[in-house]
Amino acid sequence: MRVVIAEDNALLREGLVLLLTSSGHEVAGVAATGPEILPLLLEHRPDVAVLDVRLPPGFRDEGLRAALAARERLPELPVLVLSQYVEETYAAELLGGGARGVGYLLKDRVGRVDEFLDALERVAAGGTALDPEVVTELMARRRDDPLDSLTPREREVLELMAQGHDNGTIARSMVVTERAVHKHIGNVFLKLGLPPTDSGGHRRVLAVLAYLNA
Amino acid sequence: MREAIKEAARACLHLTVGAAVSLLCCLMAGVALFTSVVTLTVIGAGVLPESVLLLRRLAGWERRRTAAWTGAPVPEAYLPLEGPLPARVRTAVGDPGTRQDLVWAAAQLLYGLVLWYLSLLLWTPALLVDGVRTGLAGRRPVALPLVGRLAGLAADWSRTLLTPSPSAARDAALAARIEQLTATRAGAIAAHGAELRRIERDLHDGAQARLVALSMRIGLARRAYDSDPATARRLLDDAQTQAEEALAELRHVVRGIHPPILTDRGLTGAVRALAASSGLEAAVSVTGLGDHDQDGPRAPAAVEAAAYFVVAEALTNAAKHSGAARASVSLAREPAALRVRVRDEGRGGAEAGESGGSGLTGMRRRVAALDGTVRLTSPSGGPTVIEVELPCVW
Repeated sequence: MRVVIAEDNALLREGLVLLLTSSGHEVAGVAATGPEILPLLLEHRPDVAVLDVRLPPGFRDEGLRAALAARERLPELPVLVLSQYVEETYAAELLGGGARGVGYLLKDRVGRVDEFLDALERVAAGGTALDPEVVTELMARRRDDPLDSLTPREREVLELMAQGHDNGTIARSMVVTERAVHKHIGNVFLKLGLPPTDSGGHRRVLAVLAYLNA
Repeated sequence: MREAIKEAARACLHLTVGAAVSLLCCLMAGVALFTSVVTLTVIGAGVLPESVLLLRRLAGWERRRTAAWTGAPVPEAYLPLEGPLPARVRTAVGDPGTRQDLVWAAAQLLYGLVLWYLSLLLWTPALLVDGVRTGLAGRRPVALPLVGRLAGLAADWSRTLLTPSPSAARDAALAARIEQLTATRAGAIAAHGAELRRIERDLHDGAQARLVALSMRIGLARRAYDSDPATARRLLDDAQTQAEEALAELRHVVRGIHPPILTDRGLTGAVRALAASSGLEAAVSVTGLGDHDQDGPRAPAAVEAAAYFVVAEALTNAAKHSGAARASVSLAREPAALRVRVRDEGRGGAEAGESGGSGLTGMRRRVAALDGTVRLTSPSGGPTVIEVELPCVW
């Protein structure tokens, strides 16, 4: 994959480049400030963009703003946003234009290299990657009966779905068969009163998030 | 006629009390003489500030009397007598108010007694004249009101002599302000120190300890690398978990110091984010601040952070304990303060039970450190309203 990176911290930037190139990806361009991002993306048209939220010149949310601008100018461009901390509001803004090809993760997650690359590839393929911390916050907020009626297993499945995982990954991370996952998902949708969705893609993420956010 | 007699009697009473003040002034002269003698011989310099305070109280009484008689307050302006004895003596002597009080006391000694005496002399002829005028000629009394005029004269003179000059008033106001600022600054510095110690402890016990443990695990993994790859692998897994926990810990500490979203979005944006993720239907209204993320005037960082924590705490309490489904948050810029108000339509009774607790205490402490005020009203049955005012210059 061809990747464009925006990260102002040299240590982290080099780390990301090393991580990506050593796993067979190509870093097409690197931005160190907010205003550089959009021209760079327009120039290189990468398969996915990895953007840090806090960037010069203002050291505020330049990266997030660039990501939102990129999603308007290049709707097909998958964007993965990284940050030192996660905010539900930012997740909502990123998902405002749909969950297709969107990722929002804590920088900590980069350390789990395989999982990070998995999320990156998922986003690049049009999927979704939402940080577990955001999902946990959303889940903690809803304390109503349907959610309480879920078994621990079903809760776990729901969380993983909200994070954007497909059935195969869910099965692997829970160490169960895909058929078992399928059954859990059916139960979850039934208990929450959601229309059953078979696809494991971004539509399912949106449906689950919409439920959690309601 | 009856009215006129009543008025004159009232004026006479005023002048009589004035005469008593004059006598006290006479005593005061004695005190002043004694004070100067013992002060000049150095042995009793401690008496001086006390005498000045006594003089101030006497002058204060006359001010109140005059204000009551004329219906208009007489301003007062003294430099505060504080600090070690030499400083108090210097202030007591240097204060223009002291000189003014002494001049007044000397004058009062004279006019207080003279006017009182005149009013007493006036009574018999005035009653005769006005009795004839009103009883026989049916005209208005003219002599009795003269007693009132005398009292008015006494009040006018006292007012003139006791009203501080504009510069003295300004000096005294400035001195009072400095005193207040010194006290609040000391409080702010103490609070700042306590905050630094808390952060130091958090980092020391949390992230720092975890990083040490992490480094140890990596060291052990290196040693086991060749001989026991399975153990090395397990140690590295542990190390990664430790690193993630250290990061989470640091994030927590950073949020406690200054929530990053405040930097990103300003107070308005940050509070909107809080409202959106509160789990309540929370409306946010903003006056005088930039309504859109980054524009508009911004309060000092410490004030923004305190306001943010107030809203966060209030909304958390509302969502957890009040049973409310709706809340409203308002932020308002005032000339010299930021006003934060959070209201929920819940069952009220906050602070009485479990729901009060450490959250509200922490909120009060944080606000007090910035010289702000917290007002909580939470009658049983609701609504709960928390109103916080944080002084700041915009």
